Amino acid sequence: MPHQDTALYKAMLDAVRQTLENMAFVEVTEQPEELELKIPDEASWVSILIHDPVQGEIRLAMPQILLQEMTANMFGIETEEATESQQQDIIAEILNTLAGLFMTNLLPDDKTYQLGLPEHGDGPLPENEDNAIVWNLQIENSPLLLVASGVGLVSENH
Amino acid sequence: MKRIVIADDSSTARMFIKRCLDIIGLGDAEIVEAEHGKDALAAAKAAPTDLLLTDLNMPVMDGETLLKWIKASPKLCEMPVVIITSAGNPAKEQELLELGALKVLNKPVAPPMLMDALEDFIDD
Repeated sequence: MPHQDTALYKAMLDAVRQTLENMAFVEVTEQPEELELKIPDEASWVSILIHDPVQGEIRLAMPQILLQEMTANMFGIETEEATESQQQDIIAEILNTLAGLFMTNLLPDDKTYQLGLPEHGDGPLPENEDNAIVWNLQIENSPLLLVASGVGLVSENH
Repeated sequence: MKRIVIADDSSTARMFIKRCLDIIGLGDAEIVEAEHGKDALAAAKAAPTDLLLTDLNMPVMDGETLLKWIKASPKLCEMPVVIITSAGNPAKEQELLELGALKVLNKPVAPPMLMDALEDFIDD
């Protein structure tokens, strides 16, 4: 089965769309394969651990300018007024929210889950693990990257 | 004037909740913000509080522990507690309701869901 057809892939896609449409009023679409928008070196990224019932990690990355524009929209301020602290808080809250929706979409109703706290990435985006699942997305013409890794989590991808 | 404590480690989440409260007619309430459960507990003890809105995943003291402290306190146990979380599903919601939460709402929070959850509170 193509990985785009798995329940796990769709659970994440629904979660990120719902989160960003409700929080930032932006539409998220999948990148066509031929487009290959790349996350630039000046990217903001954040990760969150899933502790239970499976162990895994979700990472969200986007160009710094996209985060700055979304922050300005959400706070109702000019782009250049968006502070580093506001931007870091927003990307963390976006990941926190979409991770929760992802797990809710993925798991049966009678199963609880436990997430860690979002942690900001420092420096360049790490290389993906071999078994990582990648969502190459876009908001208008800007790339948005989601990566899920961890043997327990990835094994749900069927 | 009503006094409402909002506990969430994210200033973005607190901002969204305050906007929703404003939209549903609670803009005149005194809003006290806390970054974790321990600060929220102190804020709730500091003055009579009409409502606590809290996240679950927070550093220092999480929302579930905060809920247990509130419900174990003779002084605070009658205070309504609404959980607003990214880590909620039907199983977790049932657990939290059994611990005494008034409602459990999933992020991202929106005015209609808050209006629905706080209908009785707004009418008082």
